[in-house]
Amino acid sequence: MDRRELLKLIALVTGGTVIGGELFLSGCKLSDKPAVNFTEDIIALLDEVGETIIPATATPGSKAAEVGKFIKVMVTDCYTEKQQSVFMQGIKELEETCRKAQSKSFMECNAEQRHEFLTGLEKEAKKFNENRDKTDEVRRKEHEKLNEGLAWKDQKEFEGTPSHYYTMIKQLTLFGFFSSKTGMTETLRHNPSPGRYDGSVPYIKGEKAWAE
Amino acid sequence: MPDNQYDAIVIGSGISGGWAAKELTEKGLKVIMLERGRNIEHIKGYVNAMKESWEFPHRGSRTQQMIKDYPVLKRDYPLNETVLDYWCKDSEHPYTEVKRFDWYRGYHVGGRSLMWGRQSYRFNKWDFEANAKEGIAVDWPIRYDDLAPWYSYVEKFAGIQGSKEGLDVLPDGEFMPAMELNCVEKEVKKRMEAYYKGSRHLIIGRSANITQPHYARTNCQYRNRCWRGCPFGGYFSTQSSTLPAAMNTGKLTLRPFSIVTKILYDKDKKKATGVEVLDAETNQTYEYKAKIVFVCASALNSTWILMNSATDIWPDGLGSSSGELGHNVMDHHFRCGASGTVEGFSDKYVYGRRPTGIYIPRFRNIYNDKRDYLRGFGYQGGAGRGRGVEVAEMTIGTDLKEALSVPSDNWGFGITAFGEMLPYHENKVTLDKNKKDKWGLPVLSFDVEIKENEKKMRADMINDAKEMLEAAGVKNVQANDWGYHVGMGIHEMGTARMGRDPKTSVLNGNNQVWEAMNVFVTDGACMTSASCVNPSLTYMALTARAADFAVNELKKGNL
Repeated sequence: MDRRELLKLIALVTGGTVIGGELFLSGCKLSDKPAVNFTEDIIALLDEVGETIIPATATPGSKAAEVGKFIKVMVTDCYTEKQQSVFMQGIKELEETCRKAQSKSFMECNAEQRHEFLTGLEKEAKKFNENRDKTDEVRRKEHEKLNEGLAWKDQKEFEGTPSHYYTMIKQLTLFGFFSSKTGMTETLRHNPSPGRYDGSVPYIKGEKAWAE
Repeated sequence: MPDNQYDAIVIGSGISGGWAAKELTEKGLKVIMLERGRNIEHIKGYVNAMKESWEFPHRGSRTQQMIKDYPVLKRDYPLNETVLDYWCKDSEHPYTEVKRFDWYRGYHVGGRSLMWGRQSYRFNKWDFEANAKEGIAVDWPIRYDDLAPWYSYVEKFAGIQGSKEGLDVLPDGEFMPAMELNCVEKEVKKRMEAYYKGSRHLIIGRSANITQPHYARTNCQYRNRCWRGCPFGGYFSTQSSTLPAAMNTGKLTLRPFSIVTKILYDKDKKKATGVEVLDAETNQTYEYKAKIVFVCASALNSTWILMNSATDIWPDGLGSSSGELGHNVMDHHFRCGASGTVEGFSDKYVYGRRPTGIYIPRFRNIYNDKRDYLRGFGYQGGAGRGRGVEVAEMTIGTDLKEALSVPSDNWGFGITAFGEMLPYHENKVTLDKNKKDKWGLPVLSFDVEIKENEKKMRADMINDAKEMLEAAGVKNVQANDWGYHVGMGIHEMGTARMGRDPKTSVLNGNNQVWEAMNVFVTDGACMTSASCVNPSLTYMALTARAADFAVNELKKGNL
């Protein structure tokens, strides 16, 4: 599986295009000043959210893969301003929603409470993204109609409404984890230089997949 | 000899330029190879070749800065973090698009031989005859038999793996042992060939990856990271193959950062005397003199050089008297096909990452098949077992991790069609004298589009893909069309076509510019038609053939 396939898989699992993927073409404003400020607290929070999504089992999980730090780099460098603002607003919202649901901050929750809370957030995000898809489809059609009447140089790429912030976190967690050293070499199998090709090797159910 | 005097000048160091340098030096000529961009040294220069995914800060993704710096490259997959060094920064190399044209360029030693797709096929006999038979454009001045020995010659040196199939539509070559079809591809092949009673074929994609040690090169290690440059020399590139051969003769000078601004032309002798070079770093101008000039700057840049040469005699440049210079731009149109899943192989997996896929040679408009468009298309694709089994919706935690850590139950199978684009006179590049690059040089302006023939062909490209996969028992088959813009194939061809008549072509049958017999254009610019197969192997063969001719003519005193 190459990187493109990994992104497709993540899109499939999370129901949204992965930002920074090859097929994400939106030409967007580039900010000169970083619109994001990732504090150590936020990185720690993202590590824990990530760990809830992909936990340590027999093999290390998101925390060991330093998913929080990775998310910081990706949101800072690869997200548009609009996506960044949805993401940063979302971090605040995650805390507030968690306090309402669990009467304490996400960091104070135990593993079970975190799992329960994020499962709830999954539902919210799914609903949000589904509505977004519906309204974006209408918007996209209008946009395309508008483009048809324009010279190609005046045509603009359609900029979709960003996904729910939780979807962003989940995508970056999956991408970060499965492209990390631990994810690729411990949870998955990786061989940098196979040396030969065999197109038919026996596979026993449960064996790890190749990382690449 | 003065120090700016050579026997031959080669402009460009990509696939064609590398071959020209190798052939001319090996035949004893003193050669200078001029490359507009920086040097990339074999192995040492492949800075990302040995990196693992986690060593890239964005794990290969594109950043907003990259999107800003590469406004053209961002239009498709080539823009990503792992190979960024190899593509020229669009923002520094502008051009004009009357119609959208995706021009993905590599400005460095080796050119796009470092990043090419490596698929290597011979044109067939019909490809060279079709223009004449159908009354399209002009006739090729050569036939398959003229090129066949040169295909053999370059295949033996480049190292092409593939299987002998005995097909007229896709002539066999001098192959290294073929890479293997995987178990699912073998099954699909069996079912498909049975269904079409042997009239359609599924074979391993022939590619310039070596399966045995070859000269100083190590055979392919099945990493499938060719695009980053191969430290084993596992695939053909200027760096791995033609450049070391040329250097071994002691007769080659390689000069990076050398933008050739024009070919110097002596109107009395009707010959080129050399070239003018702008040093890309110092902005100093130099002249190099030689008996012959090989123009291998990539199709559209070769034409750009001709357009800027001898303008005191021909306002539109050297080779423009036919009115065809800059015209008949071609590419291969693609980005459509079908994919689906194959059941019943959940007990099989693969080892290694094979750097090629499958190929389904053209079956339309050959023998008794007749469609409502001209020419045809082939398919590239393959089978793979993806990752991740289905999980209940909204799963997170251990279950999700486990589900994403194992192979999918079913294999995927997909094919993408590559179609021939006809040469149309009105599809052209011209000089835009109102727009200059940072060296003050005029830029190219593109006015190119696909027309009815290509659009009709695309309907077949999609429908046939779906039908074939379904006939082969592939499940959940989805047809796809991701949309195509000219240039995306990165197979720019035409604009200085070969022909039989100086009134209608730029080059003769030996790739000589009609108006300057010591100037040879042997890259994609020379193509009279495009076929539907990947063109690089044909550039290699044409270049080696022209170099042989040039040296013989020199010896005879004809140049």
